Amino acid sequence: MINTAILSWVTFIYFAAFVFYLFRMILGREFWGKLATGVALAGLVAQSVALIIRWKTSYALGMGHAPLSNFYESLIFFAWTIVLLYLLMERRLKNRSIGVFVLPVAFLIMAYASIAPGINNRIEPLIPALQSNWLTSHVLTCFMGYAAFTVAFALGMMFFVKTSAGGDLSKASVFIRLLPSEYQMDELMYSSAALGFIFLTLGIVTGSVWAHYAWGSYWSWDPKETWSLITWLTYAVMLHARLVRGWRGKRMAIMAIVGFGCVLFTYLGVNLLPSLHSYMT
Amino acid sequence: MSKNKSGIWSFFSSVKLAIVFLSLIAFFALIGTLVPQREAAGALAERISPALFSFLQQMQVFDLYHSVWFFLLSGLLAVNLMICSVDRFPLAWRRFRIRPAPQNENAFKYLPEKNTFKIRADIHQAADTAVALLRKHYGDVARADEDGSVFLCSGKGRFSLFGVYIVHLSILLLIAGAIIGSVFGVEGYVNITEGEEVSAIHLRDNHQALPLPFSVRCDRFIVEFYENGAPKTFQSDLVFLKNGKMLQSGKLRVNHPIEVEGFRFYQASYGAAPGGKATLALRRDGGGRDVMNVSAGYIFELPGKEGTFQVLRVEENLMKMGPAVKVAVRSAGKEEAVFWVFQQIDQIRKISPDIFEQVPVFNPGLFRPYTFVLLGLEEKYYTGLQVNRDPGTPLVAVAALFLIGGLMLILFFYARQVWIRMDQEKDQLHIRIAGQSYKNKAGLEREVQYLLCELKDNLERSK
Ligand code: HEM
Repeated sequence: MINTAILSWVTFIYFAAFVFYLFRMILGREFWGKLATGVALAGLVAQSVALIIRWKTSYALGMGHAPLSNFYESLIFFAWTIVLLYLLMERRLKNRSIGVFVLPVAFLIMAYASIAPGINNRIEPLIPALQSNWLTSHVLTCFMGYAAFTVAFALGMMFFVKTSAGGDLSKASVFIRLLPSEYQMDELMYSSAALGFIFLTLGIVTGSVWAHYAWGSYWSWDPKETWSLITWLTYAVMLHARLVRGWRGKRMAIMAIVGFGCVLFTYLGVNLLPSLHSYMT
Repeated sequence: MSKNKSGIWSFFSSVKLAIVFLSLIAFFALIGTLVPQREAAGALAERISPALFSFLQQMQVFDLYHSVWFFLLSGLLAVNLMICSVDRFPLAWRRFRIRPAPQNENAFKYLPEKNTFKIRADIHQAADTAVALLRKHYGDVARADEDGSVFLCSGKGRFSLFGVYIVHLSILLLIAGAIIGSVFGVEGYVNITEGEEVSAIHLRDNHQALPLPFSVRCDRFIVEFYENGAPKTFQSDLVFLKNGKMLQSGKLRVNHPIEVEGFRFYQASYGAAPGGKATLALRRDGGGRDVMNVSAGYIFELPGKEGTFQVLRVEENLMKMGPAVKVAVRSAGKEEAVFWVFQQIDQIRKISPDIFEQVPVFNPGLFRPYTFVLLGLEEKYYTGLQVNRDPGTPLVAVAALFLIGGLMLILFFYARQVWIRMDQEKDQLHIRIAGQSYKNKAGLEREVQYLLCELKDNLERSK
């Protein structure tokens, strides 16, 4: 199908954007940065077009649902929100050095969606439990949150890269010098985590409303729900530790990385746990 | 209130404690996803010693989310949150109430050079321009005039100071709603065969029966499939009755529950109902054929009046050989003949041609001169309904709204205060702008710079 063909191209485009961001960081020439931004933007546009085509195709096939209904579509959407959020941030902050940490995540997710075994990229009709408008708002808000947490995670990694290079910037490589200051990274980490927190809250609330209609109770402690709560509490701890206990820098970076671990586990890892909750038992 | 700082009070008003509680709850939840809970715990019982299992059961390890521990932890978090909020609220209230004076020495003490500019202008005209600008962006402006100086002050977004308290209040409501739900709520299920009526459900945790104040009849269950075999729709046509009168009726589908007298019904599962009807044909050698609808327990007279036959059982799928009916034929002076009548008898004989010799009870012609033929089973479904009553839900819903509203207030609004000070210095006007914000200093910085540029522009244009 045309949409999956475009999407596999997008995977390579994101990889190219990552490479150009890397060139910029190593060579210190802004030309590569501009190229990287342009390529990433082109990838985002292509991906949006593919998503719209996929949406329309599902209507043409008589199924009619947003492309957010299975694992493949969620991965694609995850990558899309990450790149969207990153480009918005780049525009606002006028700083391109975060891209070299964010784009590889988007690339890996796209690559995983195309090549991992057992991932079905066909457009499929919705089983009854998924036939709900809450599904769309739930997936949308959750992945907005995940994307913001991904950015916070990338900043956390950047923070450690920067501090491991030592304090003396004059001796450091171009790569290190181009990274934002520790103070800026800390601020950005907090803003991204706070943005992610509000979206995750919205995601959990819309999910509960959906569960209320579909399963009969707004919360049933199934592993995915429980892990989303663990993730939420982790970020709540992060916000409090910063606001009230004054945690900064390294500790925030650790929290951003741990929090992202929780996000990944909520998203992928819970499939390894025994689920008590399956439809049609 | 905040003056009354006993040991317990300061212990419970600490945010360190809050971090400990939040982490503990997260850890608790994590354990619950690793240790099998409720029904799933049964499998563990076979692998560990009975003494350990019953100890863990006593400790409520297999129902962590409904355990005393979890209630205790949530309760302590609630106390922590309440005391912490009561402790800090007066400060927020004061910050909300005070209208800062236009003259504020502190705000200008360490003012960076970029927050000032000099311009040739009349101080009164300039002050009026600045007041108009502040009014446009902020609202009410406080003004003080001194000899050769003007002080202005304005602010916005004070109400956002309450965002945190709304969020924290929502957590309290959430905990209260969840506790009400788990103490007074009911979680149950019931299976209803098409055409039948029930007036009790089974509880999910102990499987005991709970009578309902009304009864439910399922008239029909429908399942539709997509072409690829995945289910498309499940639907139960339900009628709710009380004292023989109809209360309500409706089509119950997934994602579209029906609520009756506080009980919510959800379409949860379905299956083939046992003991349905079968269509049986009876052939007499060299004679006619009778077709009849039967079900277990029915007794018929044989067409030739040789005796009677009784239908003993109707099976969906006997020994994986498809639908079958067990029949007993009785006649005076002869031994009773009992045998099974399979629907797919032709396939069975193709696979094992001498089945009748080996297993005579599988021979539908055991009672001569009759041969029984099973034409088919009438499809009959049961619908599996989840039945819940949760009086805590409205409170939880309100809590969710507060939570989101409060977070929006925190994230998208800031309490900000700006001061403008103008001093006549010889023939120039020295203008300084200072700002104050409890959060997002970078945003405040930007805002002050915008304000500065706009004021400069306006002053230059009005010259
Ligand atoms: C799940 C529970 C909780 C959630 C979701 C939550 C949420 C929040 C959020 C989002 C903020 C950020 C406010 C901002 O950015 O200005 C905050 C601040 C705060 N929280 Fe919590 N909180 C929780 C539990 C607690 C508890 C138990 C305490 C008790 C000590 C507490 C004390 C505070 C304090 C003191 C602040 C700082 C207020 C300020 O900046 O003036 N929180 N909380």
